[in-house]
Amino acid sequence: MRTAALALLLILLSGCEALRPQPEMGINPRIAARGDQRSPSLARNGLVWIAPAPSGSGQLQVRWFDLKRGMGAPLPGLNRPDARPISVSSDARGQRIALVRSVEGRTELLLYERTLMTLRPLRLVPPGVPARVALSADGRSLAVQVSRQGRWQVEVLQLP
Amino acid sequence: MPRLRCLFPCLLVCLITGCAQRFEAPGIGDQEDPALSGNGRILASVVERGGRRFVRLVERSSGRELPLRGLRRHTPHRSPSLSWTGRYLALIRQRGQYREVVLLDRLHGRLRPIPLPGDRVPERLSLAPDGQRLALQVLRQGQLDVELFRLPGLEADLPAGAPLP
Repeated sequence: MRTAALALLLILLSGCEALRPQPEMGINPRIAARGDQRSPSLARNGLVWIAPAPSGSGQLQVRWFDLKRGMGAPLPGLNRPDARPISVSSDARGQRIALVRSVEGRTELLLYERTLMTLRPLRLVPPGVPARVALSADGRSLAVQVSRQGRWQVEVLQLP
Repeated sequence: MPRLRCLFPCLLVCLITGCAQRFEAPGIGDQEDPALSGNGRILASVVERGGRRFVRLVERSSGRELPLRGLRRHTPHRSPSLSWTGRYLALIRQRGQYREVVLLDRLHGRLRPIPLPGDRVPERLSLAPDGQRLALQVLRQGQLDVELFRLPGLEADLPAGAPLP
């Protein structure tokens, strides 16, 4: 009886046992920046997120950090000086990056292919204002938070 | 016939742009903060229901809502993130005045807190597809930082057929 009670107690205790996160000491100082950083999204071997441009202009950029090589890498054709990125998400291979950004008062939903260095707009049907994106790790589905008629909706697009 | 005439352009638009899938349900208001499992099978989002904001999991193929035990309390929930198969669900929840990061192992029905060192207030998170790393947007000394953490002692969640690590 006493053993059973002890076993039960152990199970209860282990059920809420905390996970101790270990800071990535080799990486965190390298991605640190002066100014706000937002919207992190992990790939298998990389991180994409929104950070202030290194120029100190106050402009925000989408950035990519290669976790295997321990260094950042450029995203040619993705950032535009007059655009403000809002939400960003990567697939597991870090090949596809989905992005919501605001340009000249418009909010755009875009898909970037890193190897091809191409950026193409995605259409919402019916039209709506995108806010947040989440790409599946296999890169084939994209979930989008959209505002339509004053309500927040979530929808999933199948990507070719 | 007029209905068909309307259907045709809709279908054409769907073929060109890809059709969007939505998962509405009675009693659900705003839906925010979407996340997908690695294979896209499960959609997580934060939904407003009865004035509270909970995470909701839906299996996309059937539209079925998946049960979530142990997550009814401590709302609002924020920023859910799923591993490859959807075995792990990480999210931020409000516990009184504090925000805490928790990880639910759906395979074993085990909910574990992830206490953050120092005075970090979690704002958003992203779990690596294999569940071995966590990226966090935290508020610290008035600034938003992005930081990475390893989650040691957690079994990796890999896609079926993937080579063993």
